[in-house]
Parts: sequence; structure tokens; C-alpha cells
Amino acid sequence: MIEVRNLTFSYSKDRQALHGLNFTVEDGEIFGFLGPNGSGKSTTQKILTGILKGHGGKVSLFGQDISAAHGQEFFQKIGVLFEFPYLYANLSAVDNLNYFASFYPKEQRRDVGELLDTLEFKPDFLKKPVSSYSKGMRQRVSMARALVSNPRLLFLDEPTSGLDPSGAVLFRKIIEQERKKGTTVFVTTHNMVDADLLCDRVAFISNGNLVALDTPKRLKEKNSNHRVVIDYLYQGQRESKTIEAPELEAGIPFAHDEIISIHSQEPTLEDMFIQYTGRGLS
Amino acid sequence: MGKGFCALFKKDCRMLASGKFFLMAIGFLALYTAYVNLGYIRFMQMEPYHVYLYDPAETQASKSSLVQTVPSMEAMDAALSSDANGVGLDASAGDVRVVIYKGAEHIDRHRADYALSLLEPSVSLPPEVLGTNTPEQKARKEITCELLFFELAAVGFLGIAAVLFREKGMGVIRVHAILPLQKDLFLLSKLAVFLLCDLVFAVLLTLLNTGLADGAAVLPAVLLQTAILSLLMALVGLFCALLLKDFRQFTLAYLVIAIFAATPVFLSANTSVKFDWIHYHPFYHVYMGLKNAYFGTAVSPVYYIGAVGTIVLLFLAVRLAFHREIGKEG
Repeated sequence: MIEVRNLTFSYSKDRQALHGLNFTVEDGEIFGFLGPNGSGKSTTQKILTGILKGHGGKVSLFGQDISAAHGQEFFQKIGVLFEFPYLYANLSAVDNLNYFASFYPKEQRRDVGELLDTLEFKPDFLKKPVSSYSKGMRQRVSMARALVSNPRLLFLDEPTSGLDPSGAVLFRKIIEQERKKGTTVFVTTHNMVDADLLCDRVAFISNGNLVALDTPKRLKEKNSNHRVVIDYLYQGQRESKTIEAPELEAGIPFAHDEIISIHSQEPTLEDMFIQYTGRGLS
Repeated sequence: MGKGFCALFKKDCRMLASGKFFLMAIGFLALYTAYVNLGYIRFMQMEPYHVYLYDPAETQASKSSLVQTVPSMEAMDAALSSDANGVGLDASAGDVRVVIYKGAEHIDRHRADYALSLLEPSVSLPPEVLGTNTPEQKARKEITCELLFFELAAVGFLGIAAVLFREKGMGVIRVHAILPLQKDLFLLSKLAVFLLCDLVFAVLLTLLNTGLADGAAVLPAVLLQTAILSLLMALVGLFCALLLKDFRQFTLAYLVIAIFAATPVFLSANTSVKFDWIHYHPFYHVYMGLKNAYFGTAVSPVYYIGAVGTIVLLFLAVRLAFHREIGKEG
């Protein structure tokens, strides 16, 4: 679906933003693109969505080079959720969605009412102007805008930003459903929970370079110290012990009365990012 | 393409309606019409200056019947004290001396010439007649032209910038970057909405203030000049709104463009104040194009070539600024 080879981009002669990125995104894959602010995530996404021109290297989407004029057909196949909910504040959710949907062929459009229902949008607000919505409601309308054209490729920038925990769970569920339909999803996020739970593969970008690319599980396993921490009670005292994971094969290798918890010492994605780049994600 | 344009056009109309732009335009139309018909024209229909003559020796035998004779200089002083616009002529010492109370030099010259001409009306050279407008028709056309120019240059310009600043503030311009839409349509629909509004405004203002017959006769030429000015101002408004960060910065640009650029044009075209450099002022030519349209005078083809060239250049600049804006960070 997406093929990027030696992608470079400079905003000016002395300001190179991307230094030769290489990656592919398969059909129906959820691909996470992680990096701190200013690392080149947005630049990459803008090149992939056809907003930024003048890059170096090769970028192909849907098997076609993005440098060639894709025109309207290209934009009919993609859906984009921006980092901020860009909507007409004086129009209602329904009017906003009908307006944005009107640029797509009729047979491609989804029903606005059904879509908002799926996103659990409060029906009382359907006809009220967006200016009266909470941040979470605006994010739901923005997501509906990205989905209203039934895109084959979905770009999501911080999809769960501004949502409460149940909203975030709902969004992850919807993204999963989209993938099941065959939609390819390119997620840009700071949220490690989203990346870990949603993405088939994640790429770490730092200072315009791709520093790691693998499944979240493998990235964590590769860098795991294979130790577990066991909290237990012994003779009325609460104690904690760290042991090598293979030692557990023969059972708990020390005296105890009751096991309280066993935690693996597997690193988080954020730990991995810091390890690869030396920088945090914020 | 047609469907996309219609959607954009409809949305722009809604944006203008929600921003009370149409209401404002109707308000301005009512205000201008009331000003022209209830104020300006009545003022222009005032009687000519009274001329008072003190001529004890009765040396001015061929004077006009409009000249009022006073018996003494005290009586003339009293008359001019109560009628500050009047002109006194003192012929008591042989030569005629002009007496005027508190006036600007240029205005006094007109009044003095008028008063002196009344002493020998038969000798006055017949004036060359330019055009067939009555004084009232001339006054109506002049003021309608000024008001239309002001409306297009200042109010319309502010309106289009306000709409674009709202869209910039909401970030929706960037959404249009990823829509299956020819990006130029986003700009063209705005230009079309404002052009249409300005043309409707020009028709109503002209017909209401110059009369149906007179207005209809000059409308085609007026609409052509309105279209030129409307497109120029809308493009300048779009350019400023795309380049400038916020409305506060824009108000400064607005002040420069709408006031400092337009004021010398008004002064030069409508008063006795003349600037040698005014012919290098682009707004002067646009204003004179509009004025010539109201008075049925031909406009040079060079002006049209210049206007079309400027519109094309401005559109390209706006296009560049628009593409820069949609590629910006969130």
C-alpha cells in the first residue's frame, strides 16, 4: 500500500527534515509512526498525503508514485484525521459532514447519521453548531469526517487525543473494524497504549531518521532482560524478589506462603524509544 | 468540478450569512441611500450665495437682479454677519472691493468670482457645456460613485478577509488540502461570492440613488468597473488574510490600504486639492474608471489591460500564499 524508499525532504538548504527514510506498509496493516515533536512525523505524513511536494527519494501509494499527479482520484482513496479537530464552528456536525462528504462520489459516501451513531455521538447535538461541542465531541466528528468517504487508506494523527478512556476504547474498536474491512491505517501518535494495542508494526523516527521498525511485541522482546519480579508473603512478611524467567520452569524457586503478584520486566514501548533515540516522546 | 464549486459556494454564502455580512451590506445600502436622498441632495440644492452691494453712487448699472443693494456699510456688515456664506461688494470708492467673512482661500475665490460676474451678467462668457446632466443628476452620480468606491474598497475588502481569518482560525483550510477538489476552486468560490454581492450592491445603490432611467443607462459600464474593483479588493483581502497572522495585524494593513491609499484619491478626485503624483496611484485610476462609468466617459484600453494584468498577478500571489498556508503545521 505504501512504499517509501530513501525519502528526503528539506524546508531550506540548511534545514533537512528527513534523511532517507525506508519503510513499507502492507495492505490492511495498522502501522504506527512514533516520534517526538520535530522529529519529522508530520513532514512524512504530509508527503504521504500529497500536501507537501518537492521530496527526494521514492514514495509510492496504491502502487503509484506520489510525485506523479494523482489528482482527485488519489484524494478519493484517502481519509485523514488531523491532530486538531478542524471543523466549521458555525455549522452543526451533520452540516459539516454533509459538506465534506459532498466532494466524494455518492456511491462512495457513508451515511452521516449511521456514522455518528457508530461513534456514539450525542443525538441532542446533531443540529447544534460545533462551537458548542466539547473537545471529545469534536474529535468524534473529525473521525467521522475521515471515515465518511470509506477510504482505503486512513491517516490518523493522535486519534484518541481529547477523548475520555471509554472514548479511546471505542476509537480503537472502530480502527480495528476498519482494518477488518481491509482499510490500511497509518497512525501517528505519542500515545504508547494506542501504539501497543493497535499497531501491527511501529516505526520510531528521531531527527528525520528511522531508528527502529518492528512489531511492538518483538521490539519489547528483543530488549527484554527476561526477568520477573515476584511479590509474596512469607512468615507474615511481604517480600519481593527478581529472578531470571527460565528459573520459573521448575516452579517458584524460593520459600513462600503466598504469591501476591508476578510481573515481567519487559520494557515498554517508551523505554524502547528512549533506548533507540536517547529522547523521550513528549 | 461543478459540484465541488457549488458546495464551496454554498458554504461561503453560509459563512457570510453567519458572519452577518449580508445584514451589514443591507444596512450600508439603507444608510447610503438615506444619506444621499435625505441629506446630500438637499444640501446640494441650497440657494446660491447671496451677493450684497454697497454702491452709493450707483456705478453698477448693469448688475444682475440677484444682487441685493444695501444702503450702508453697516447694513452690509449686519447682512454678512447673519449670512456667513454671502459675499459683499463695496463699490463706494470707485473700484469694487470684495468683502467676505471667514472662508478658505479656494472657496472664497469661487464666491468672489461668482459675485463679480453678477455685476455684468451680459458680458459673462457662455460656459462650455460638458454632458447633459442636470446639477442634481451630477450630484447624485458623484456621490453614488464615491459611496460605491468606499463600499468596495473598504467594506468588501474587510468582509472577505474576515471570512478567511475565521476559516484560518478554525483550521478548515488545511482540510481542503486533502479533499478531492481542485484547490483553486476554494479561492474562486470566494471571489465569485464577493463579486456577486458587490454587483448586486452596485445595481441597488445605483438605481436607488441615481434614478431608474439614469441608473439603467450607466449600469453596464458601472458593473464592469465594479467587477474590476471588487476582484482587486477581494484578492488583496485574501492575500493579506493568508499572509498575516491574525486579525490584529490585518487591521493595521486595513488602515494602510483602506484609509491612506483611498484618502488621497478622494481628495484629488473630488476637491481642489491636487497632488502631482496622483497619476502614479493605482487607486486613482480605478476610481476614475468608476467615475467615468457614471458619466458615460470612455476609459482607456491601457487601463483595462493594466487591471486584468493586476488581477492575474494578484491571483497567482494569492494561490501561492494559499498553498503555503495549507501545508503549514497544525
